Amino acid sequence: MSNMLSTGISGLSAAQVALNTVSNNISNVNTPGYNMQVVRQTESITQTNSSYTIGSGVNVVAVQRAYSSFLTSALWSSNSSLQRATTYNDLATTLNSSLSASGDLQGSLDSFYSTFSTVANSPSDTSGRQALLGSASALTQVFNTLGQQLTQQQGQVNGQISSTVNSINSVLSNIANVNQQINQSSGTGQPNALLDQRDALISTLSGYLGVTAVSEKNGTVSVYSSSGQALVNGNISYPLSTAGSTYDPTTPDVYTSAGSDITSSVSGGTLGALLDYRSNVLNPIQNQLGQAAVALASSVNAQQAQGLDLKGQQGAAIFSVPSPTVLSAAGNQGTATVAASISNVSQLTASDYNLSYNGTQWNLQTTGGQSVSLTTNADGSLSADGLTFNITGAAQAGDSYQIQPTRHAATGIAVSMTDPSGIAAAAALATSPASSNAGTATAGAISVTDSSNAALLSNATITFTSANAYQVTDSGGAVLASGAYTAGQPITANGWSVPVSGTPAAGDSFSVAANTNGLNDNSNALTLAALANRGVLAGGGTSVLSAYASITTQIGTVGSQATTNLTTQTSLNNQAVSAQQSVSGVNLDEEAAKLVNFQQAYQASAQIISASQTIFSSLLSAVQAR
Amino acid sequence: MRVSTSWMYQQSVNTMQNQQSALAATQNQVSTGKRINVASDDPGGAGQMISLNHIMAANTQYSANMDSANTRLSTEQTALSSVSSLYNSVRSMAIQGINSTLSRSDRNDMATQLTQLRDQLVQLANTNDSNGSALFAGTSTTTLPFVASGTGAVSYTGNESTQMATAGPGLQIATSDPGSGLFMNIPAGNGTFTASAGAANAGSLIVGANSVSDPVAWSSANASSGGGYTITFAAGGSWTAADANGNPVLDSGGNPVGGTYQNGGSISFNGMTVALSGTPSAGDTVGIQSGGTQDVFTTLNNMIGALQGNSTGTQLANTLSRQMESLDQAAGAVTSTEVSVGGRMNTISTQQSAYQDLGVTYKAALSSVQNVDVYTAISNLSSQSASLQASQQVFAKVSSMSLFNYIK
Repeated sequence: MSNMLSTGISGLSAAQVALNTVSNNISNVNTPGYNMQVVRQTESITQTNSSYTIGSGVNVVAVQRAYSSFLTSALWSSNSSLQRATTYNDLATTLNSSLSASGDLQGSLDSFYSTFSTVANSPSDTSGRQALLGSASALTQVFNTLGQQLTQQQGQVNGQISSTVNSINSVLSNIANVNQQINQSSGTGQPNALLDQRDALISTLSGYLGVTAVSEKNGTVSVYSSSGQALVNGNISYPLSTAGSTYDPTTPDVYTSAGSDITSSVSGGTLGALLDYRSNVLNPIQNQLGQAAVALASSVNAQQAQGLDLKGQQGAAIFSVPSPTVLSAAGNQGTATVAASISNVSQLTASDYNLSYNGTQWNLQTTGGQSVSLTTNADGSLSADGLTFNITGAAQAGDSYQIQPTRHAATGIAVSMTDPSGIAAAAALATSPASSNAGTATAGAISVTDSSNAALLSNATITFTSANAYQVTDSGGAVLASGAYTAGQPITANGWSVPVSGTPAAGDSFSVAANTNGLNDNSNALTLAALANRGVLAGGGTSVLSAYASITTQIGTVGSQATTNLTTQTSLNNQAVSAQQSVSGVNLDEEAAKLVNFQQAYQASAQIISASQTIFSSLLSAVQAR
Repeated sequence: MRVSTSWMYQQSVNTMQNQQSALAATQNQVSTGKRINVASDDPGGAGQMISLNHIMAANTQYSANMDSANTRLSTEQTALSSVSSLYNSVRSMAIQGINSTLSRSDRNDMATQLTQLRDQLVQLANTNDSNGSALFAGTSTTTLPFVASGTGAVSYTGNESTQMATAGPGLQIATSDPGSGLFMNIPAGNGTFTASAGAANAGSLIVGANSVSDPVAWSSANASSGGGYTITFAAGGSWTAADANGNPVLDSGGNPVGGTYQNGGSISFNGMTVALSGTPSAGDTVGIQSGGTQDVFTTLNNMIGALQGNSTGTQLANTLSRQMESLDQAAGAVTSTEVSVGGRMNTISTQQSAYQDLGVTYKAALSSVQNVDVYTAISNLSSQSASLQASQQVFAKVSSMSLFNYIK
C-alpha cells in the first residue's frame, strides 16, 4: 500500500520536474544562447521479494541540455568567419563609396592637362594661365580629399582595433568568472544556466577573433586564440593590449599579456578583419594614391624646368609634395638620422621599407619582408627603388628605420605656384645659325637634358672647325665641348642637346641662347599637355591616369570580393546555426506535445494516490464495520 | 530535421532582408540608369570607364585645339590673300611703268601710290590673331614684328619659330608661319640668280625673263666658279662671259663661251638662260649674281626710289623689271604659304570629323560599360518584388500555425 503511494508520488514529482522543464523551455524560446533542456529519468531500484519483484516508481536523474559540443564549436568558428567577413565588407563598402564621393580624379586630371593645351593655344594670354593654376589647385584638392578619406578610415580602423581589444578583454574576464562559478558548483548537478552563459560568452568572443575552446576535467574551459596564445585558463584571463607599433606610436598594434606582438598572426573575427584590412588594403591604397600624386608632381615640375616662363625665367615647380616619411624604431640606440628623398619616380614602388643596420652595413627590406639591394652613390648616400637615403650620425647594430615613401603624398600635395606667368610654355633655348654660314648644316630642335645645370641658359656657340669637327664655346670663349661631327648626331653641352644635320663649312657656327625672343612659343606647353598619356611610373609604363584607374579597379575588387565572401560566410553560418539549432533549439510544437504528455502523466500519478487512498479507506471501513 | 521555432522565424526574416536589399540595388540601378555606381559594382568596368572618359576628354581637347588653330589659320589666310592682291596691284603698276612712257608727275603719283601700298603691306604683315598676338612674329611676343624706319626700310623683330597645336596623339599642326620667310628672306632675282643690266649701259638692252635651264650644269659650274658672271657686249651684239675673277667662262670643250646676240634673243651658258631685248652698245654689260635675298619692302622701296629718281626709259624699265622679278618671288612665297595653310585647314577638318565619329563610338562603348540595360533591370525589379511578396505571404501563413492553437 505504502509502496503504491510512494510510486505515485515519484511519478507525480517526475512529471512536475518535466512540466517545469517544459515551461522553462517555452519561456526561453527566444533567448539567444539557450539550449533546450530535457529531463532524464530512470526506473527506481526495485524491492525484491522472495518470488517476485515490483517496480517502485521513477527517479529523476538529471535535467540536461540538448547539446552537441561538436556543433557548438563549429558554430563558433563559422561565427568568427562571418564577423570577419561582415567587418571587412563594411570597411570595403565605406571605402568604395568614399572613393566615388570624393570627386572625380580622372576628370580633374584631364581638365588639368587640357588647360596646358589652352595655354598652348594662346601662350601669352593670362586668362588661360590663370585657369591652369585654378585647375591645378582643383586637382590637388581631389587628391587631398581622397587622401583624407583614407586617413580618416585609418583613424577609424585604429580606434576600432583599440575598442575591440577592450571588448575582448571584458569577455575574457567574464569567461574566467563563469569558469570559477562552474568549478565551485561542480557536484551540485549540471549548472545549465552557467554553461549556457559561458557558451554565449565564447560565441561573442569568437566574433571578435578566432578562438578554440578546450574543456578541462574540472568543468572549466580553456580558451586559446587561433594562433595559439592562451586567453583564459580556469579562472585566470590573459588580457590583450594595444600599444603603438615599433615605428609609429600613433598606429596601435596588438600585444599579448606577455608582451609579444601578435598583430600579424591574429585571424578571424572583427579584430582579424581590422588588422588584415589595415595592412593589406588601406596602407597599400594610401601608398599607391600617394605614388600617383608624386608622379604627377615630379613629371609636371621636371617638364616645367625644361621651359621658359612668360618672364624669360626657367620654369619653377607647380606642385609641392611632402618628402618620404622616415620613422625610427622605438629602441634605437645610435644617433643616426636618416633622410629619404625620391630620386627616380619611374622606379618608385608603393611599398614601405625597413632600413636596418647590422653593425657593419645597412640593409633594406620591404615591410612585406623582401630584401632590396642598396647601391652606394659617389657622395656616400644609398639608393634603391628610386629612393635615396642620406644617413648622418652613427648607428648602433640593430637600429632600424621605417620609410614610407608616398604614404602622405596624396594628403600633402599642394600648388606652390601663385603667379600665372610662371607657367613655362616656351622652349628654354633657341639656336640660330650665323648669317655667314656657308655650309648646308641645319640645327634641329634643341632639347634640355639636365634642367639642373646652372649654365643651362647661358649663351654658347657651336663652331665647326672643319666639316667634321665641332667645338662648343661659352661667351668668354672657353671650350665647353668638342668632338668629331657626324651628321644627325646630337651635340651636347651645358645640359642641352641639339641634333645637327647637313654638311657644315669650316667656320660655320650656331649660337645657342635662352629663348627670350620666343616667349610666345608653346612647345613646352604642348609637351606638358602630352604628359596626360606619358608613362611616368613603373619604369615609364604607367601614366598618372592609368595608376589611378588601377587603384580604382583594386578598390572595386576589394569591395566585390568582400561582398562575395560575406554572402558565402553568411550561408555557411546559416548552415552551422541550423545544425546546432536542430539539436539544441526549442520547438514550440514539440513543447506543446510534451506539455500535454507530462500533464497527463501528472494526472495519472495523482490518480494512483487517489486510488491508494480509496483502497486504504475501503480497508479501514471493512475493519470498522466488523 | 528538427527546426527550432526562433530560428525558423529568423530565417524567414533573413530571406526577406536579402530580397529587400537585392530589390533596393535594382531600384537604384533603374533610378540612376547606371550599372556601376561604386567601383565594387564592377571593378574591371570601373577601370574601363576611367580610360574611356580619359580618351573622350582628350578628344574633346584635341577638337578645341583644332578650333583655335582653325581661327588662327583662317585669320592668316585672309591676311595672305590681302597681301596677294596687294602684290597684284604693285605688279600691274610696275608693268605700266615698264611699258608706257610716263611723265614726271605720273611717276610721282605712282610712287605715292606705291608708298601707300608699302605702308599697307607693313600693316598686313603686323596682323594680329584673335588673342592679340602678332600672326607673323614666329613665337616672339612682340606685337609689331615689322618695324618701318623713317627711310621706309623695314626690319623684322620676330623669330624663325612656328607655333604648333596638337591635333591628335603625335600630330602637331603649325598654326602660324614666321614673317621672316614670308616677307624678309625672299630669294633675290629669279630665286636662283639675279641678272641685271650694268648701271652704265648706254644701249637699249633690257634684261627680261631668266632662269636655270639645266640645273645640273648650273650647280656644277656654280660649285667651281662661285656663280658670279659678267656678260660683256662688243659691237654688233657679240658677247663674251667672264667669271667673278675675270677669267673667261669655258664651255665643256674648254673653249670660251660667246656668241652674237640679236634683239629679242637670249644668251645661255653654264645651265642658265637669260632672255634679252633691245640693242646693247659696245661695252654694255649684264651682271649675273647667284644667291642672296631681298625683302619685299626693299623691292617696293627700290621701285619707289626708281620712280622718284631721274632714270627713265631703258634704265627705269631694267630696274622695274628686276624688282618685279623679286616681287614675283615674294608673291610665290605667299602663294606657297597659302597652299600650305589650306592644306593644314584641310587636315584639321578631316581630323575633326574623325574625332566626331570616334566620339560617338566611345560614347557608345562607355554607355555599354556604365549604363544599365533598362529592360533587364525592370524585369529584374518585378521578379524580385514578386518573390519578396511571396516570402511575406509564406511568413504570414507559417507564423499562424502552432499546436497551441488546438490545445484547449
